Amino acid sequence: MEIKTEQFSEVAREGLKNAHAHAFLKLRANFVRARRETALSTFPDAAAAQTYGATIRGEAIARLPELLEEFEKNALANGARVFWARDAKEANEYIVNLAKEKGIEYVTKGKSMVTEELGLNEALEKNGVKAWETDLGEFIIQLLHLPPFHIVGPAINISVEKVRDLFIEKINLKEPTLDPVQLGYAARLFLRDKFHRVRMGITGVNIAVAETGTLINVENEGNIRFSKSSPRTQVSVMSLEKVVPNLEDALHLVRLLCRNCTGQKLSVYVSMDNTPKKDDEMDGPEELIIVIVDNGRSKIYQDKIAREAMRCIRCGACLNSCPVYREIGGYAYGWAYSGPMGQVLNPLLLGLERTQDLYRATTLCGACKGVCPAGIDHPSLFLQYRAKDVLSEKTFRPKKRGPTERSFFRLWTWAVARYWLWNLGVRMVRPFINKEAHESVLRNVRGPFEGWFRSRDLPAMAEKTFHDRWKEIQNQNPEWKIQKDNTQV
Amino acid sequence: MEVISIFIPCTVDLFLPHIAEDTVSLLRRAGVKPIYHKEQTCCGQPAINAGYREQAKKAAKHFIRVFGDDEKVVSPSGSCVCMVKYHYPELLAEESEWRRRAEELSLRIYELSQYLVDVRKVEDVGASFDGKVAYHESCHIVRGLGVSEQPKKLIRAVRGTQLVPLKAADSCCGFGGEFANSYPDISESMVKDKVEDYLSSGADLLLLCEPGCLLNIGGFLSRKHPGKKVLHLASFLAEYQETMNDKR
Repeated sequence: MEIKTEQFSEVAREGLKNAHAHAFLKLRANFVRARRETALSTFPDAAAAQTYGATIRGEAIARLPELLEEFEKNALANGARVFWARDAKEANEYIVNLAKEKGIEYVTKGKSMVTEELGLNEALEKNGVKAWETDLGEFIIQLLHLPPFHIVGPAINISVEKVRDLFIEKINLKEPTLDPVQLGYAARLFLRDKFHRVRMGITGVNIAVAETGTLINVENEGNIRFSKSSPRTQVSVMSLEKVVPNLEDALHLVRLLCRNCTGQKLSVYVSMDNTPKKDDEMDGPEELIIVIVDNGRSKIYQDKIAREAMRCIRCGACLNSCPVYREIGGYAYGWAYSGPMGQVLNPLLLGLERTQDLYRATTLCGACKGVCPAGIDHPSLFLQYRAKDVLSEKTFRPKKRGPTERSFFRLWTWAVARYWLWNLGVRMVRPFINKEAHESVLRNVRGPFEGWFRSRDLPAMAEKTFHDRWKEIQNQNPEWKIQKDNTQV
Repeated sequence: MEVISIFIPCTVDLFLPHIAEDTVSLLRRAGVKPIYHKEQTCCGQPAINAGYREQAKKAAKHFIRVFGDDEKVVSPSGSCVCMVKYHYPELLAEESEWRRRAEELSLRIYELSQYLVDVRKVEDVGASFDGKVAYHESCHIVRGLGVSEQPKKLIRAVRGTQLVPLKAADSCCGFGGEFANSYPDISESMVKDKVEDYLSSGADLLLLCEPGCLLNIGGFLSRKHPGKKVLHLASFLAEYQETMNDKR
């Protein structure tokens, strides 16, 4: 997948201009929020259920190396094959070779963000293997050659008219219709044929269970189950943080995932795979191949703070709650993961230098943290990434901050611990700022702060700060004076 | 009379000093004697938000030196209180003595409405205002501190005032400090949404407890809807004080 994280501002501006999408996202936010809250209220104690989820993910990350070994041991014992891919290239080469060895013409795919991260579809197609996305949303955007707009609903921004025209053009929709059910049916007919003859299916993994070697997938369309059960070869691609200790933990996460994701108590399909087809079984894939993708994660894992981003279970609740996502939509984030989840993950996976905007274009409002069932503190991570830039931490491929900013904070630090200097600074700066003021209001000021003034005014700096006024106030109200001064300074 | 210490955020001190005065008179009204340490400067948010953690530590230590011995500290800003309450202990985690002091202080610092309602048990501060108001739930106050009912209780106790619902009341207004300046298009779109919700609420006034949001929403209103006002809750309660004569 092409990385466009550096074009954030440009693409965000395009998103802002799209009034239709904006109105839709605002409406959708209210709807999705209500659905999620209703679904969560079916827990006897929703907050405790969320906290428990965070605890499970916290433990999973803390014990990650050990859990992965346990998972591999059990998966192998179950008869699966396990391939550890250090990076995207290794993962893609392995899967491409697998397909080539078997003389496979096409694969069906269940929606999987990690394969978007790898750019697997492109790698397959370069080698003459067609990859058919079988999730309806993914199928639509694949036909349109668009990236996902939302990690759960990749095509939520595509109008039904556009889908109708697309299906007429690309998949032989006979009778033009705007009925979503009919459109869905057309896609189903088209894809059913692909499933019928498919020899290799590639899906992602929602949760991997260390204790049993089980792979769990959660979906609503049945396409993942098809992709996992129809072909002879089942390939499950997982990023290495997907593992949890045991089935109880996994099932709690499934409950949380569905509620936080789509506001369902349970998705329509939950499939669990342990083994390939056994000798005495009628059907099922003959081989189960698990590709465990590192792609920079074990390096991130060395950093005790940054690794907490890997708790993410990809439910998408953070996107739905994010006021910035609501304004700009999903394209601006420029890679596989969008919204707050992408803002914490992409900088780690791609390096800080080319993902600057992801952890700076945020008001730190904490809506994402508030809904996260995995206990990720997104705003604190954003601040940590900024700190890594300031300290130029090599591991994270940082972007050095400019000299003006550095000098500013040098001065600021000097003054912040010396109140007299701080107030002297205020008195010195004030005339420069206030020379632009009319009737005590600053408007259309140019220079480094013109972003603010594009749509906002600012009161002029007070001729007398409260600091200056305090003595007067006390003199006017002698009874306010307190003899004892209990500062230590 | 309880003596408490007030922390006046730099945004208030420099651009909105009347909010500090209103805070003082409100506290006096609630039977509290506020003291102001002239040595106070900034809580350090600009530094930590820009990634300058070492520099933010200096601010934290200064703050702790100035306020460390106060029994209670009250501030008319939720985000500054969050900084002290949550970020100081984390910033100073590796310096055990400073960390201890930060943790102690974190238990003794309050946002203004939180202090009045939870600690002083005051809801009716003797104000009256005939009209409808809406309340914007600022991010650091509602999600950071979990303070939401306290300001509403203070508003409901104002005679003649009707608190009307605000759509997406806890949705961010788009301030975010440097964000508003660096990403003006996104920020403008957010504040526009907030203002549209305010206008459609039918309220005569928008109230909030966060100076940052006040600068943002107020600045946008001043530019695009000069007739509409946004006020800090402290100013609202102080400005519409009943005089002794018309009191009950």
